[in-house]
Amino acid sequence: MSGEEEENAAELKIGDEFLKAKCLMNCEVSLILEHKYEQLQQTSDDPMNQVSQVFEKSLQYVKRFSRYKNPDAVRQVREILARYQLAEFELCVLGNLCPETVEEAIAMVPSIKTRGRAQDDEAIEKMLNDLSLIKKFE
Amino acid sequence: MFLKVQLPWNVIIAAENLKPQGLMLQREIIIRLLGDFAMKKATKDLGYFLAVTTLEKIGEGKVRQHTGDVLFPVVFNAITFKIFKGEILEGVVHKVLKHGVFMRCGPIENVYLSHLKMPDYRYVPGENACFMNDKLSKIGKDVTVRFSVIGTKWMEADREFQALVSLEGDYLGPISTPDI
Repeated sequence: MSGEEEENAAELKIGDEFLKAKCLMNCEVSLILEHKYEQLQQTSDDPMNQVSQVFEKSLQYVKRFSRYKNPDAVRQVREILARYQLAEFELCVLGNLCPETVEEAIAMVPSIKTRGRAQDDEAIEKMLNDLSLIKKFE
Repeated sequence: MFLKVQLPWNVIIAAENLKPQGLMLQREIIIRLLGDFAMKKATKDLGYFLAVTTLEKIGEGKVRQHTGDVLFPVVFNAITFKIFKGEILEGVVHKVLKHGVFMRCGPIENVYLSHLKMPDYRYVPGENACFMNDKLSKIGKDVTVRFSVIGTKWMEADREFQALVSLEGDYLGPISTPDI
């Protein structure tokens, strides 16, 4: 891969095809994989044997690292984050790590400041508040 | 990062598995696609293959000369996982060594955090060996750690990725009270 040296997710340099690709938050992946797993349980006695190791490890991971469990909350998180002109990648990092302060959010996703998209601290603060409200009412 | 991708693939159905009824053939193609998908495990460019979500299209089959197998072009949606340099992620420690720790992150088993990349932590030997800093923050087995990715490597032989990660940066390190 030619651009490999250049790759830096902190600056949102992850290759065009990934920048345009739809990213998924851990909680979204968890809903999808759990649903798949339930479907398998209905058709097979030994569902764990039916799935690949990649599937199994990923399912364990997203179960542990999903900040939101309820499908409605998961949808709301994406809706809220989508209001802030974030790249897909940035949106999912924020949804996964749930930073508590503006400073932490910028440390997790430095590109929200450097790309000059007028993401002022106030807007970020509001976004984090909205997210923590979902968590509270989940 | 987990990604939703649309992929065009070719599925080959052996001549003896070709069933005359339309739905049976479709079933055969799906079974074959799911099998191929799980077998593939990962690629360097796209990362790990987790699951097929939807099948978009099955194209016209083409008979292959000599074997009589039929090749069907299909388009489907899937979930993949790729680790990016510069990305901030969370993982779980599964092995503690004198010179660093190995973590799991998504489908990746070998996420390595060297002691050189966690400068304020010291190795504490013992039955439950771990790394600890002056504030008694501990990195041991089953601890969740937030890190930044400094390098990734594709291992062709095992079809696996390895990653080198670091705690150098703000808000990185073990997460003591995960609110999950």
